[in-house]
Amino acid sequence: MPMGHTATAQAGSGGLTATEHRLANGLRVVLSEDHLTPVAAVCLWYDVGSRHEVKGRTGLAHLFEHLMFQGSGQVKGNGHFELVQGAGGSLNGTTSFERTNYFETMPAHQLELALWLEADRMGSLLAALDDESMENQRDVVKNERRQRYDNVPYGTAFEKLTALAYPEGHPYHHTPIGSMADLDAATLEDARAFFRTYYAPNNAVLSVVGDIDPEQTLAWVEKYFGSIAGHDGKPAPRDGSLPEVIGEQLREIVEEEVPARALMAAYRLPEDGTRACDAVDLALTVLGGGESSRLYNRLVRRDRTAVAAGFGLLRLAGAPSLGWLDVKTSGDVEVPVIEAAIDEELARFAAEGPTAEEMERAQAQLEREWLDRLGTVAGRADELCRYAVLFGDPQLALTAVQRVLEVTAEEVQEVAKARLRPDNRAVLVYEPITPEATADQDENEEAAR
Amino acid sequence: MTELATMDFHPQPQAGEAKPWAFPAPQRGTLDNGLTVLRCHRPGQQVVAVEVCLDAPLEAEPAGLDGVATIMARAFSEGTDKHSAEEFAAELERCGATLDAHADHPGVRLSLEVPVSRLAKALGLLADALRAPAFADSEVERLVRNRLDEIPHELANPSRRAAKELSKELFPATSRMSRPRQGTEETVESIDSAAVRGFYEKHVRPATATVVVVGDLTGIDLDALLGDTLGSWTGSSAESRPVPPVTADDTGRVVIVDRPGAVQTQLLIGRIGPDRHDRVWPAQVLGTYCLGGTLTSRLDRVLREEKGYTYGVRAFGQVMRSAPDGTGAAMLAISGSVDTPNTGPALQDLWTVLRTLAEGGLTDAERDVAVQNLVGVAPLKYETAAAVASTLADQVEQHLPDDFQATLYRQLAATGTVEATAAAVSAFPIDRLVTVLVGDAAQIREPVEALGVGEVTVVTAE
Repeated sequence: MPMGHTATAQAGSGGLTATEHRLANGLRVVLSEDHLTPVAAVCLWYDVGSRHEVKGRTGLAHLFEHLMFQGSGQVKGNGHFELVQGAGGSLNGTTSFERTNYFETMPAHQLELALWLEADRMGSLLAALDDESMENQRDVVKNERRQRYDNVPYGTAFEKLTALAYPEGHPYHHTPIGSMADLDAATLEDARAFFRTYYAPNNAVLSVVGDIDPEQTLAWVEKYFGSIAGHDGKPAPRDGSLPEVIGEQLREIVEEEVPARALMAAYRLPEDGTRACDAVDLALTVLGGGESSRLYNRLVRRDRTAVAAGFGLLRLAGAPSLGWLDVKTSGDVEVPVIEAAIDEELARFAAEGPTAEEMERAQAQLEREWLDRLGTVAGRADELCRYAVLFGDPQLALTAVQRVLEVTAEEVQEVAKARLRPDNRAVLVYEPITPEATADQDENEEAAR
Repeated sequence: MTELATMDFHPQPQAGEAKPWAFPAPQRGTLDNGLTVLRCHRPGQQVVAVEVCLDAPLEAEPAGLDGVATIMARAFSEGTDKHSAEEFAAELERCGATLDAHADHPGVRLSLEVPVSRLAKALGLLADALRAPAFADSEVERLVRNRLDEIPHELANPSRRAAKELSKELFPATSRMSRPRQGTEETVESIDSAAVRGFYEKHVRPATATVVVVGDLTGIDLDALLGDTLGSWTGSSAESRPVPPVTADDTGRVVIVDRPGAVQTQLLIGRIGPDRHDRVWPAQVLGTYCLGGTLTSRLDRVLREEKGYTYGVRAFGQVMRSAPDGTGAAMLAISGSVDTPNTGPALQDLWTVLRTLAEGGLTDAERDVAVQNLVGVAPLKYETAAAVASTLADQVEQHLPDDFQATLYRQLAATGTVEATAAAVSAFPIDRLVTVLVGDAAQIREPVEALGVGEVTVVTAE
């Protein structure tokens, strides 16, 4: 490679390699060659997410992401979509707590177009941004919120759990979708200011993966992105650190028109990028991943008190990660029955740790998930950006699976004992009500809190 | 006010030279027990995908036992002659494997995904499941209860609820297609292990099954592997079973499933039409894409990008059952959700889009972009083994030749604007569409009646 260093394939990287480069304006670039299929993935992570939003403007990062598809200096209207799709590519963007990503997967011979498009909006979005697209996308995002959260049973559970688990004023207290009131309040000037603050080359990582010529790719990146000025206008994000355990059991009872009782909980867990986070991932997999997990066996197979039971892990780098327990009850079973069984299982796990066979199963599951993620050029591009943005080193993506496989049963037990405790969780209980009772709902909900 | 950018602009780049790509051609064979095998080597795909198609269609379920195919499909992974249910799940996960099974109109499908390093062991488990499922009373009982618990969750989900209502409206009550794929409370309650075993014995055998194996098979002796595993599955030879043709009543009408207080209306507007054995299929795929395949298609250009009524509305054609004799059909539908106050205006615009299409047709530019996308995305879409395996298995289930998908891409490229327009217009005729709306009847009934798209009835949600 003419610029930057060439990585050699590291143990556990499955033979994948990546090289790193930096333009003069601060844009970091990661390239990874793979000529098996004539496709190339472009992925651009901006180091901005909902955690950077301020009070009264929740949802702005995500609304802004929509505006990035409304044209830019040289691209008219829906051109970003039209040009990529017309070239046989696919594209999208997503917003999370910690980042906003944009990605195109292209037939290899159309790679240059994707780079040109991403550069155009990074450098000249504001030339196209106007009231019309702002008003239109505000409505679209509000309908996205209704469709994905407000109009489906339990749809706002995650939002409620997050609000419980991260205290008022914490940057992760609200989720990326934001509130309807704040979406209504956002102005065009807010969007402009957001762009000027966060959408700079030195606040982004670009990865290109697949059937590429690295030298040529880097020359295109320099050509299209090189003249965009970087700046130091980005304020440091608010501190997301919290004590390791919550220290009490938080609880909210929701009385809503839902089909069945549910018990959900959010546990405060180690930050992403740590060995303890990998260990807790394994713990949650043993306890609640798949159909041979302890909670599934106990609640669904043996006690037959639940229709579904599982644990998920939301890895976060700038705040404690979140372990999400989700149990839907069977028939008329009451929540305390479920809760007692879960506490028993968690206590037993903390006391005994995982068996050797459970470790093998959990590691095999997580290994396959990693193979899946790295098995497509788009998945690999996204992971390279993730490790570059959040941990400063894209190479870590290629060895992530190895680190999961190195964790010991003792470490899994230790983290479970320290973190999977009743005084380290926020609990959300759903109690179904019939439509006729809806009139009393507000009163009951207040009382429950 | 616009802001001048400070970057150097360059003209839009031109495409480089396209590299050839074709949908992979599988290699076809048969094991001694009659099991058909399709295999496909995909270099670099470390997670192997295995699909098994069983000729056990929903239509074959005994009267009153709707859902027995679903319970059987799920029971495959609940224990064998070698492992209990818990052990079986544990062994699969120890391979890093996932095994899904579901029953649909064309038949039952099992989908296994496993890292290639553990393929042998996972194939052994899959073979055990097919060859000697335990179907233990207590496990089937649990699956039945579990299924009963799922039903209220499905009814509470607006898009699932809409799909259920549309099937009920479209197909005659005597057709299996009119009823939920996974059964109703009444039918599922009657299912026991004897019923599951009966269905298995009657409809599951290697001679009428196909296995598709896709992935990086470097250094794998697949013949030996399959011989040792699925090769030991035995059963009687195939018997052909007649299937009734698919028919539907697409008289234009509206059914509102009342969901008081809903902030959005889920819409599902559909009918049935030609399936993949019909010559019009490529043109129909193209025309449907132009109508509602993506957010730059006609429907979203208005409903989303101009009006902001929705997060997205899609038009699609989904094969229900496909057969060379022309008895099959595809569901042709438009689905999405719109905010409650704008339900009337959104439907009005939707019909205007359909009317405009019928009157003015598609443009050549629309057709070109659609072809470039549908054909161009193929190498991306089929990057993983699972995507290739799933399409090959669909072809098997739908009695299509192995080169169907590869041929389809060539046909799409050769389909003109006029044909695509004609196909889209006859797929979505404005007066032959059944509209299901799951939403707040008190708010949407009147504006919907005012549209004049057919008689409006309201049903109460469960």
